[in-house]
Amino acid sequence: MNIVVCVKQIPDPAEPGALDPNTKTLKRDGKLILDESDSYGVEMALQLADAAGGGEVTLVSMAPNSETSGLRTALAMGAAKSVLVSDPALSGTDALGTAKILAAAIKRVEGADLILTATESSDGYTGTVPEQIAELLGLPSITFAKSIAIDGGTVKVQRQTEAGYDECEAPLPAVVSVTAGVVEPRYPSFKGIMAAKSKPVDEVDCAALGIDPGSVGWAGGGQEIVTVEAAPAREAGEVVEDDGTGFEKIVAFLDNLKVI
Amino acid sequence: MFDWTDEQKMLRDAVRQFIEKELVPIHEELEHGDTPPYDLLRKLFATFGMDAMARDGFKKRIEAEKAAAEAKARGEEPPAKKEREGGMDPSFTMIPIIELCRYSPGIVTAMGVSMGLTAAAISSRGTIAQKERWVPELLTMEKVGAWAITEPNSGSDAFGSMKSTARRDGDEYVLNGSKTFITNGPYADTIVFICKLDEGNPPAERKILSFVLDRGMPGLEQSKPLRKMGMHSSPTGELFLSDVRVGRDRLIGETEDVPSGGREGAKDTFSMERSGVAAMALGIISQCLELSVEYAKNRVQFGQPIGEFQLIQEKLAKMEVHRLNVQNLVFRYIEMGQAGVGLTLAEASAMKLYSARAAMEVALEAVQLFGGNGYMSEFKVEQLCRDAKVLQIYAGTDEIQITHIAKDLLRR
Repeated sequence: MNIVVCVKQIPDPAEPGALDPNTKTLKRDGKLILDESDSYGVEMALQLADAAGGGEVTLVSMAPNSETSGLRTALAMGAAKSVLVSDPALSGTDALGTAKILAAAIKRVEGADLILTATESSDGYTGTVPEQIAELLGLPSITFAKSIAIDGGTVKVQRQTEAGYDECEAPLPAVVSVTAGVVEPRYPSFKGIMAAKSKPVDEVDCAALGIDPGSVGWAGGGQEIVTVEAAPAREAGEVVEDDGTGFEKIVAFLDNLKVI
Repeated sequence: MFDWTDEQKMLRDAVRQFIEKELVPIHEELEHGDTPPYDLLRKLFATFGMDAMARDGFKKRIEAEKAAAEAKARGEEPPAKKEREGGMDPSFTMIPIIELCRYSPGIVTAMGVSMGLTAAAISSRGTIAQKERWVPELLTMEKVGAWAITEPNSGSDAFGSMKSTARRDGDEYVLNGSKTFITNGPYADTIVFICKLDEGNPPAERKILSFVLDRGMPGLEQSKPLRKMGMHSSPTGELFLSDVRVGRDRLIGETEDVPSGGREGAKDTFSMERSGVAAMALGIISQCLELSVEYAKNRVQFGQPIGEFQLIQEKLAKMEVHRLNVQNLVFRYIEMGQAGVGLTLAEASAMKLYSARAAMEVALEAVQLFGGNGYMSEFKVEQLCRDAKVLQIYAGTDEIQITHIAKDLLRR
């Protein structure tokens, strides 16, 4: 059971983020960490490979400046190897461009039975890349998995919905996005941390993937960030003095919101 | 080395996350509720694979020892020791110590005594059979170990005033005595009991022997935890031995003629212990400093954050000097370990002396900086302050460290 997991390396949310005033995008020139939302996919992949009695988990990532810090975390958790796409031409790449790059990188991994992603990244939140990858690869796609099981050549997924979950299945290989929080990502073991530095990271650029740099990055982007505005301050709430009928006002307020 | 490597930072961050998730929610129970730390330690070991690594490491060492013993029995040269294959980086031990000590230095005490002192005492002098019998489960924390040397009337003068005895009785020994201030004493499964062989000769001439005892042996009584100033997450107790009968298989080394009479073995253990205290001090200092900086920025008095006052600034500056010095000692120890170079007794003692004093000073200053809040347990620095004090007392008091430094220098 060979599984590819798409992982994003993002600026540490614990550090104050900053926007590049020229590009109006998040600055990514510092150290990056593994997006927490991807750690669930990594954990799910490791569990599935384990349950299948073997196979490799391969990471696929796109990041500036040959950054591998976040990848090393996932490698320390137990992934076997990684493909990293790093190319200055990728700066400003939009969701579709990202999907093109990742799809091309996934093709470098031989014998992938299953491709896992998060449902969305914690710094971009477009939530469209998994389906775009599936389309580009011509593979079936299931989103918002809360549990995944492999049954022969089929992937069976409980797909989270607002009301509960749907039971879906698709032939392998397939692309499945994993909902955050459905598994508990393991801590990297000490042995895993020591081993991570020597695990292979196959770093490639656009040329190696056969991608025209003009079709990605700012040049190929179908979007332009025109302006960035500060979020409006929250308006002050209404203060109601309780004269003994406060509860009625609360009920009326909630009723007005149509939540009761 | 002037900073942690990316790999060490990954380890630190992972341990930190574990502590925030598993230790912090039960911190109150550990420090004020007599909850023993062993389940948490076992979880820590299992989570990071430290138990499996310890077992594998032990297996390799014991196989090498067996091969050497068999070669010797055949009258051959023992096989050359293998070069360390990228062996355990000392930082992999030091970092968990530092991180745990930010919250509960007592947990490190309990862990260190069990897998450090107790396992090391058997590993350094025991027979292969004894090591296989007791050491693996101590290294994985499956079993809790205690190392019993201190007695009501023998502290720093551990061997001179020692009253506990072993008497020969046929093929067996009969052990008597009482021990106190024994870390893990109330819960220990495996106890290394250090005593003097009573052959009717004057106490000063008696041989020092060490025996391994198991919980529940007839005549062995383990007290409830003693009340103490700090280190509440480390259970400390008394042991009472009344005619405990043991076979020679429990005498460490299975010989009464341990090289240097057993004293050197105990002193080796002291030396190893001292470098660990510096890592503990670094955890306490780092936490106190971080909490103090945050408090100095946010606590407003006389219309401004107290960090604006120079008397507060002086405290922060002194804390930072200590943090840098202790961190540098720890970095030096890690680099020496990576290079396979050991500390001299003077170095280990100096490292412990300075670090323990620094931790105490920093923690006291933190309490002072926090004022009334510092005296309240809610703000955490009072606990670290109480805990820090014992760093100047156990593993050899400050006064003993001074004499060891000086004696080591003077005998060269």
